[in-house]
Amino acid sequence: MSPLEGNLQDLDEKSIENIVKFVSDIRTGKLQGSNKIAVATVTLLEQIITDASNTSALFLVNAVRATGRRITKALPHELIAANMVRRVLRAIRDEQRALANQSSEYSGDSLQRLVLAAPSRRATLPSHHDLREPIRDHIAELLGELEASTSAICGQAKEHIHTDELILTYGSSNLVEKFLKASGTNKPKLLLVEGPQHSESAAMATRLSSQGVSVTLVNGAAVGALMPRVNKVVIGVRSTLAGGAVLGEAGLLAVTTAARHYSVPVVVLSPLYKLSPLHSCDHTHFNALAPPYTAMPYMSGESALTQVYAPMCDFVPPDHVTLFITNLGGSSPSYIYRLLSELYDPNDYQI
Amino acid sequence: MEGEKENVVQAVVIMDLFNNNLNPICTENPVGLLPVAGVPLIDYVLESLVAGGVGEVILFSCQEPTKVREHIKKCKQDMVPWTFSLDVQILSSETCETMGDVMREIDAAGLVRGYFILLGVNTITNVNFAALLDQHKQICKKDKGAAMTLVYKEVAWDHPLISNNKSVFLAADGNTKKILLYNTYKPKCKDTTVSLPLESVLHHSEVKLHHNLLDTNIALCSPSVPPLFSDNFDFQNRNDFIHGILINEDILASSLYYTKLKGNQYASAVTNWKTYHIISLDILHRWVHPLSIESGSFYQNSYTFMGKHNYIKTSSVLSRSCTLQEDVLIGSNTQISDMASLTKTIIGNNSHIGKNVIIQGSHIMNNVVIKDNCKITNSFIDCDCIIDENSILDGVIIGSGAKVNEDTKLKGNIIEKQQVNRTEKGLSKSTSESGTEWENESSGDGDEEFIGFEKQWTDSESCYSSDSSAESSLADSPVPDDTNIFLQEVIDSLARGYEEKLKCDYLILEINSSRYAYNIQLHEVNFYVVRAILSLPTLVDSKNVLVTVRDVFKFFHPVLVNYIKTKSSILDCLRAVEDSCLKNDWLNGKAGQIIHLLYNADVVDEDSLLAWYEDLKTDESEIAQQKSLVNFFEWLNEASEESEESE
Repeated sequence: MSPLEGNLQDLDEKSIENIVKFVSDIRTGKLQGSNKIAVATVTLLEQIITDASNTSALFLVNAVRATGRRITKALPHELIAANMVRRVLRAIRDEQRALANQSSEYSGDSLQRLVLAAPSRRATLPSHHDLREPIRDHIAELLGELEASTSAICGQAKEHIHTDELILTYGSSNLVEKFLKASGTNKPKLLLVEGPQHSESAAMATRLSSQGVSVTLVNGAAVGALMPRVNKVVIGVRSTLAGGAVLGEAGLLAVTTAARHYSVPVVVLSPLYKLSPLHSCDHTHFNALAPPYTAMPYMSGESALTQVYAPMCDFVPPDHVTLFITNLGGSSPSYIYRLLSELYDPNDYQI
Repeated sequence: MEGEKENVVQAVVIMDLFNNNLNPICTENPVGLLPVAGVPLIDYVLESLVAGGVGEVILFSCQEPTKVREHIKKCKQDMVPWTFSLDVQILSSETCETMGDVMREIDAAGLVRGYFILLGVNTITNVNFAALLDQHKQICKKDKGAAMTLVYKEVAWDHPLISNNKSVFLAADGNTKKILLYNTYKPKCKDTTVSLPLESVLHHSEVKLHHNLLDTNIALCSPSVPPLFSDNFDFQNRNDFIHGILINEDILASSLYYTKLKGNQYASAVTNWKTYHIISLDILHRWVHPLSIESGSFYQNSYTFMGKHNYIKTSSVLSRSCTLQEDVLIGSNTQISDMASLTKTIIGNNSHIGKNVIIQGSHIMNNVVIKDNCKITNSFIDCDCIIDENSILDGVIIGSGAKVNEDTKLKGNIIEKQQVNRTEKGLSKSTSESGTEWENESSGDGDEEFIGFEKQWTDSESCYSSDSSAESSLADSPVPDDTNIFLQEVIDSLARGYEEKLKCDYLILEINSSRYAYNIQLHEVNFYVVRAILSLPTLVDSKNVLVTVRDVFKFFHPVLVNYIKTKSSILDCLRAVEDSCLKNDWLNGKAGQIIHLLYNADVVDEDSLLAWYEDLKTDESEIAQQKSLVNFFEWLNEASEESEESE
């Protein structure tokens, strides 16, 4: 247990009730889709901040962290929810810092003060100001960013997808679908490799072909043979990790390995909210198993005796990725750490 | 407000199984609190109901309702997720002894507003109840009489959950999914034929036959179901209901439908120790996703996944040299010592496993101490037990608080607290009964396949243990006890009728009312009436038995004619004669004469007699060799030849 995991104060009952509802919504599948989960997390945190009895920065930070801990404990695989908690924490800390700088009389006057003020990241200064109003502005900004992230990424489609290029993608992803549609007149040819959910991949292929994209649905086994002809691999991911590695749908690693072998560029579409400051050393996220019916049906007599391993996600190392496309534009895997330090406060890497 | 309430999906959960398949663990504790993979059954049920879109639940508890109430109260205090969106009502009645009684109580209380879901507390599922209920409502729009839709999971016929349960054979209309025929079979039944009425094939363009359906114990019910139970007081369980509706479809104006669960929807019911073990492993294997051990007790994930489907609580202490082979679940504060080896085993909280212990396919509850060098296979050990050194347990069920002495070897016993240290008794009855033996389905390739628990745990004291080892539920079939009482009552009323020369019509009425009181099938009534006539006390005392028998037959002729009408009833009658001649020594050697008397009285016909005689010969029954019977059939053959010649 790390020293950062001290005890926090308990949340009030109403907040706990909200958290439990949020968690069970995600568990039962009522809340699906990364963007929706991100928005729901931020809304939940906004509610908790609004309901907070004490408005000091310390109290708010603690309340948000306690929420974050409960969520991560209940849903260790939902990295996006944890990311949103970190973003909100960052907003509170920023606000507190700005307030601290403002309140000191000669704010900005002396160089010494600036230097000293900058590292005071810990939001421990006592304050009587109501921080909630400015924090709410931050949250509104964040929600705006979440809403615009898809269109921001799709806006870059024309830079990356050109006419008559052969694009390969893996599994179904809303973001990739919109990205390809956004390529507009530059109609690419698409090879869609079946992911673990065959029906969803097929549905995505139908939707795209009705939009005029020429789609070929291929089996995962054919990837190796097709890869030499492919111009570009475009994939959506579950989460982007700190080192530039990627967590994707199960089976993705085979695709990116083939791409690397034939030196085909791999473009990863990753909105900023999918950026997680975790490193790949935390194994709980990779050993997670998906329900076994994704691999085989509960039918035969053997299904009660066999051990079925259907991994939830694949880990793709950073050297398999050529380019990340985020809301802010393209960036290489080695640049991810910069983005992280812009988004989150280092104190919050571990909630 | 009223309108809102009507849209809430209602579910009725019956908290008891009304059988003793899970004894002795569930004799004192309600079945709902039996932990499966560390989580009480009731938690799975409530959580799946919430996830399935149910808003209001009626828990009907007959056994220890206070414990259920306490559990629900505690869940509310702990803010378990379902408490926020589920309205739970607990009803209890200690007098209810069957599911039928429960339904009648519910009907009387008038709690069910419309369509509802009926399920047992032993169901573990991840289905969307609300969608299924909508499906049932659609069926009801087409067929006003649709009473119930049964929910089944389709699996392969060799699936262990089917082979260890009462299997179901179902014939249904292929288009409407209306059930035409419904049979249940005992586990491992060797019956190879199925009889399907011709009309059911002629009147439907497509008939589907299913033998691979897994009963999930979920039923989608129309508002008419509780009143149907009230009107037909002989419906005792769901099978009675199904049979009753199918037989009297026109009279009750109701029909039944079925539906199969699709794809990744999982549903199964814990009915005995074997299915208990299989379902526990299914939960560990995440088939019931999103229901899992992590979600059951509380929404916070406190298990650590160790690979190979091993899960441990972070507060458990494992020795460096112990091995968890596969499918192991270890609760909090449990200690596993050096060189212990665990396979397909679930261990509760605060338990202690000693050195060199080998545990396979077993379920160990809380606060259990297992000392060094024990070997435990396919067993269930309840809370607070102590197993001393060097014990070898195979297929043993141990009730809470019991102690097993060192160097004990047990196989297939049930040990309860009262029987502490009574290992001798256990040993003496170990292999005599098939019902208590653990079945080891190891198919030669090592110790991989310890399926676990045998069907039923019979008591040596209970009178039905010898012939009902394969019965999975008592409520489903009449206990031999009942038929014995029925026989005695019929004998009594006939004897009285004979003495007081009552009208036979009254006697028929009396027999019929006893029949309904003890829930006796028609063919059994035929059998027992003849049996009773031949067991009358007057016959026992009489000096010339045959003369008395003739008088008796003459007197009871209306009764006999009333019951013995069809071919099958004649065979019942003849079988009763056979049975009586074997069992009643005053009829010894007089089978031929009795048959002759019946033949003369026109109760039995020639064809049936000959068919029966053939049966006797092939079965090598004792009485087939009896002189009187041989003589009678010789005479019969001659008589028939003569009559043919004369024509």
